[in-house]
Amino acid sequence: MAILQIRQAIRDAMKEEMLRDERVFLMGEEVGHYNGAYKASEGLLEQFGPKRVIDTPIVETGFSGVGIGAAMCGLRPIIEFMTFNFSAVAFDQIMNNAAKIRHMTNGQFGVPIVFRGPNAAAHMLGSTHSQAFEPYYAHIPGLKVIAVATPYDAKGLLKSAIRDDNPVIFLESELMYSVKGEVPDEEYTIPIGKADIKREGKHVTVVTWGQGVPVSLKTAELAAKEGIEVEVIDLRTLRPMDIETVITSVKKTNRAVVLFHDWPYGGVGCEVIAQIQELAFDHLDAPVLRECYEDVPFPYADNLEQLVLPTPEKGLAAVKKVLYRG
Amino acid sequence: MATVVELPRLSDTMEEGVIAKWRIKVGDKVKRGQVIAEIETDKATMEFESFDSGTVLKLIAAEGETLPIGAAIAVLGAPGEDPDAGAKPAGTPAAGTPPASTPATPKIATKEEGAHGETKPAGEPGSGAEVNAPPPPAPATGSEEQVPTDRSQKPAGDDGRVPASPLARRLAREHDLELGGIQGSGPHGRVVKADVDQAIAAGTGGAPQKPAPAPAAATAGAPAAGAANVERPAAKVSAAPGVPGAEADADGRPYVSRPTKTIKLTQMRKTIVKRMGQSKREAPHIYLTTAIRMDRAMAIRAELNLAVDGTKISVNDLIVLACARALRKHPKVNSNYTEQGILEYGDIHVGVAVALDDGLVVPMIRFADQKTISAISRESRDLGLRAKNKELRPEEMTGSTFTISNLGMLGVESFMAVVNPGESAILAVGATNEEAVVDNGAVVVRKVMRVTLCSDHRAFDGADSARFLQTLKSLLENPMALFG
Repeated sequence: MAILQIRQAIRDAMKEEMLRDERVFLMGEEVGHYNGAYKASEGLLEQFGPKRVIDTPIVETGFSGVGIGAAMCGLRPIIEFMTFNFSAVAFDQIMNNAAKIRHMTNGQFGVPIVFRGPNAAAHMLGSTHSQAFEPYYAHIPGLKVIAVATPYDAKGLLKSAIRDDNPVIFLESELMYSVKGEVPDEEYTIPIGKADIKREGKHVTVVTWGQGVPVSLKTAELAAKEGIEVEVIDLRTLRPMDIETVITSVKKTNRAVVLFHDWPYGGVGCEVIAQIQELAFDHLDAPVLRECYEDVPFPYADNLEQLVLPTPEKGLAAVKKVLYRG
Repeated sequence: MATVVELPRLSDTMEEGVIAKWRIKVGDKVKRGQVIAEIETDKATMEFESFDSGTVLKLIAAEGETLPIGAAIAVLGAPGEDPDAGAKPAGTPAAGTPPASTPATPKIATKEEGAHGETKPAGEPGSGAEVNAPPPPAPATGSEEQVPTDRSQKPAGDDGRVPASPLARRLAREHDLELGGIQGSGPHGRVVKADVDQAIAAGTGGAPQKPAPAPAAATAGAPAAGAANVERPAAKVSAAPGVPGAEADADGRPYVSRPTKTIKLTQMRKTIVKRMGQSKREAPHIYLTTAIRMDRAMAIRAELNLAVDGTKISVNDLIVLACARALRKHPKVNSNYTEQGILEYGDIHVGVAVALDDGLVVPMIRFADQKTISAISRESRDLGLRAKNKELRPEEMTGSTFTISNLGMLGVESFMAVVNPGESAILAVGATNEEAVVDNGAVVVRKVMRVTLCSDHRAFDGADSARFLQTLKSLLENPMALFG
């Protein structure tokens, strides 16, 4: 097995799918000559040429719409947003076209498209460039939403996303492109809609995804020093959600914390909690807690930014609180 | 409400601490941020600044004492407030408040009470509301070493709902435990899984949420109701844990299934089995019911209780006397069938059935027809009490010639009883209730009691029974005749 960074796993996934299916192409700002703002498309222009790796002007509405149209016409575009913060400009295209065409044409047209790029806060990017977009997209019927945290998951899920016949939002992280991990040499895919238990434990279930995964794993390490065994569940797909894995775990631990890089109000964390209370009410020994961003616009200053982010220490405090050890 | 001051964590590695020196004493007023103690940690001796304001009600930890982090070291509150308020019931529990599962922590006399009873409110601005709030009723702590903290208090919700996690609720249901009897260790006294587990392990878990039905002594007082142990210690409902069964409800939640138990027969039960079986097998029972208007009997009872000092005559006492007088007039009913002939007893000994937890006994009022109502009342109460305590002598329970069984205090309207072997009749007495009856063509409200004479047809016939009931009815509806 090769040890790859997430950016390389993403590049390999795109490369393999482009080799496998000539309908697949990549489009976005700086994806070609610059090899991607985060080097996730390194070498692809050279290999596949400018017809399949397309640099666009800085106009998200435009290239998102072109991508959706291409998908309706039978191609399989991958649209890279330099960050998902910029997808706000393309929001109407995604919400009203990508998500709704299949429904509104009664299946005459599908939109097999992937929108991918980094999501949520990185480091000192200010409030307009530090936002998590999964709640906006996961809210919309017709979209699938994926958030990855390891090279293995990134490659396997991106390949599934590209092969999917429906629009998929694929969330990465600027801070995690260099995260390394084992990736099999042979071909593999990971089905959309399957969570992964990243660490087993019996005392508390921590449900997480994306940038929350490394924080949760560190939380589990801190908790282990106090004799608390935390089970970390990486949802990987936020819509459709693998609630079964979560419920099975909560029925075992009777306690849950949802840890994620996003604001608390509404959103995916709330969806997880709503489903837990609905499906495992009689198994809960404590209220389910959230550990996430503070409910404020993201500060630019380093010291203030640190206060807003979920940390392993805050995660541990939440874990202890649901254990009544707080 | 009193605030418990806990030993704080003053360094990252601190696990326990020693109170090197108290800077406050009982009665002092403490402000938030004021140094109240010097605490020796594993690293250094540090000043401990109070997180709360209030008057020092109690110093729990002594100087030099080594304590774990979180241990209660002092109690702050309003002057004169009970520092142990969190550790025992703060007042008379309301109806339905469950009794504590274990005795309350003994109250520790506090010297400062009164001495520092300033009238000024103790709370400083910012904390006053909490400090001055009246302490909520709280159940006793589950164990002696448990300190009174906010967490051990159960809020007295208006709806009486016990705070508990859904899981704790389910476990309690499966183990037949009442949540009200379990001390909650979670926030705001929430009962959590660990508390239920502890209750299961200790076998102490839970007291019935509703008190045993109180006998309606005022309307149908009987020895069984009189001084009976109404305040019995709460018993656990069942020790058998439930397991999810094969059948489930519409939502797929399995019903809890519990094993069938075999209860060993006690000697008393065996006697009841033998005698009641014999009676029902051998004696052909007939049952006649009549309604008796009790307004005047109730009135005369009330008058007697007012007029004669120390008297507390019950309705049942009046029935005993009336039966005894009626039996004198209808000796056929005071009898016993034998193969050699019918024994018509010369003496009248009226037995009164007393219900016990595990059966019943029938002590008797001997020569009841010759006793005054106050003598019957006194004896009846004494017998009832001693029956509950199982202190009756055998001779007090043998030789009755007629029996009265009164279930009126349990709300029964009328019922049929089984004749006691050795007798030929038993009077089954129902409750006295106000009813709409027709009197001289008008509907009026009257107190009505139904009695059923259950008798052995071998000894006498229905008409004899009816005549006895007529006399009894007449005596109770014209109760002055009892005192003639």
